[in-house]
Amino acid sequence: MNPIPLIRAALVRHRFSALAFVFLVAAGVSLSVAVVSQERALKQGSTLAADRFDLIVAPPGSRTDALLSGVFLRPSSSQLLAPALSAALLNDSRAVSVSPLAFGDSVGGAQVVGVTAALVEHLSGGLAAGRLFAAPNEAVVGYGSSLQLGDKFQPAHGIQHGGERAGSSDLLDAHSVTITVVGRMKPTGSPWDRAVTIPVEQVWLLHHLPTGHDPSAQHLGPPFEAAYTPGIPMAVLQVSDLAAAYKLRSAYNNKESMAFFPAETLVQLYQLFGDIRKLMSLLALVTQALLLLSIMASVLILFRLLLPQFVTLRAIGAPRSYLFGFAWGFTSLLVGLGVLLGLAGGYALSFGISAWLSQQTGVSLQPALGAHELLMASAILAVGLLLASLPAWHLQRLSLASAIKLN
Amino acid sequence: MTQGSGSLLVQAVDAVFADADGASIHALQQVSAEFLPGQLSVIVGPSGSGKSTLLHALAGIVVPQRGLISFGVTVVNQLDEGRRDAWRLAHCGLLFQEFRLIEELDALANVLLPAQFKHTKMPAGMRERGCELLERFDVPRRSIQVAKMSRGEQQRVALARALLLDPPLILADEPTASLDADNGQRIAAALQALAKSGKTVVTITHDDKLVARADNLLRMQAGRILPSVEGESR
Repeated sequence: MNPIPLIRAALVRHRFSALAFVFLVAAGVSLSVAVVSQERALKQGSTLAADRFDLIVAPPGSRTDALLSGVFLRPSSSQLLAPALSAALLNDSRAVSVSPLAFGDSVGGAQVVGVTAALVEHLSGGLAAGRLFAAPNEAVVGYGSSLQLGDKFQPAHGIQHGGERAGSSDLLDAHSVTITVVGRMKPTGSPWDRAVTIPVEQVWLLHHLPTGHDPSAQHLGPPFEAAYTPGIPMAVLQVSDLAAAYKLRSAYNNKESMAFFPAETLVQLYQLFGDIRKLMSLLALVTQALLLLSIMASVLILFRLLLPQFVTLRAIGAPRSYLFGFAWGFTSLLVGLGVLLGLAGGYALSFGISAWLSQQTGVSLQPALGAHELLMASAILAVGLLLASLPAWHLQRLSLASAIKLN
Repeated sequence: MTQGSGSLLVQAVDAVFADADGASIHALQQVSAEFLPGQLSVIVGPSGSGKSTLLHALAGIVVPQRGLISFGVTVVNQLDEGRRDAWRLAHCGLLFQEFRLIEELDALANVLLPAQFKHTKMPAGMRERGCELLERFDVPRRSIQVAKMSRGEQQRVALARALLLDPPLILADEPTASLDADNGQRIAAALQALAKSGKTVVTITHDDKLVARADNLLRMQAGRILPSVEGESR
């Protein structure tokens, strides 16, 4: 049997209703697909961003806050580690390198972060252009920074929060020092791409703190002298192997400090979000099922308008199975088109959300359609095809003898 | 009564329906008739006399409670629904007062519909036959949506559809009632020609011009066939 000509005719006759059904299914699928795709993109993006942060040591408190502050450069009012502990930590030889993170300044809305050159090298994996800073008044900018090599700037005290534009309530107070950009990092896919890194000694100096070294010392970076080292908000440790990482984490998890693997904290966050996502996915599927059911009910009403046609077809010899094929094919086509459009729409939506989130957070998000979304769309399609048999079954039960008198 | 291979025989058929209030309506009462191939049989009678019910019973759409309706060796009303559908598709060409075409399809697609009830691919030669039928009934614009055609053309498309599978039996339900005089005459002439070609043609009508062409005229009233008046049946 070939009900395609009739399906085509029904689509022509009820094109606006058909379009509305397709749009409804597509909208539902799009939202579900976008949620799942976006969640994965966020996971991948944030994992990549945290990838090079082996171990973080910070004052006791919220690991999530420390993670957001250190890896994702979200401003927070952090406590400081005790100066003595800070010095011991920065000079800990069990780590390959230890870099303090010193916040508090900005330039053109971008965070200025005080670090060691070793951390810049480690995060960037070699520079895209220029060289590492070698003097207190030199800077290496992130890959996405608007500052160019050779540009000079004066860091301002204060940080613009949450992407607000200059002129907001943030207090910006330019320091008198002029810093020259000497290098550009490679892309890291993290908010560090927008940051400006300068020697931590310069940050301490700008804030009237000891610089970690005897005033007569000429070098930057470790070793730091305990007598001249101020308290630091946190430090990033690069470790040689897993065993060393666990030893260091254990060593710095005490009353005075906490140590954590950013990846581990992210996994805990993912688990929390994962549970929420599962619930949301379930709700989305239930919503889809209800949506599909309501569409089937609407299709059934639509079919009542086509009843004279069905009566004619039966009268001229069409078997019940032909009507079933027509009705099922018509409804399935709408569902199938809706699911396909929904997949495309979901990808587009996820792409848009990713672009917006990347712009807001600096975390590089790469949305893609994965097996989960395809499986979900397939499940919706399968349920849709199954539900499509309801109006088809109802229609093929049509009593020709009764219907032909009325139609 | 004799039962030829293409004759349609109705024997003591009763059909009873319940109306909206549940009361029984005797639509057909002890109806007996024979419709022979090569004849244009015309059934007339007032509205509610049972003409349409009889025609639907002849087509296997309505199953009477009692009696037999046979075509050749097949007792149509004893077939189950699926077999009646198949029998109707193979043996009956139906024409309706309001044509009952699929308006969004063009003329040829409408004509070809019966060939697609059982076959995924159009059987060989069917498209050519559809074109030939449209040509025969003077419908040259076969790729135009039937909704855009004149009523006369639409009924001729319906006639072509009825003849696609070359059924031996043509059943027409007031086929000229919604046509102007000229188009009515064309359809009446076509039905007469089909009868002359050996098909069994049964039509119900109020149209005197169609009645005038009848080889076999039956009058119905209150669900019964009235005795024929001398000179009416030719």
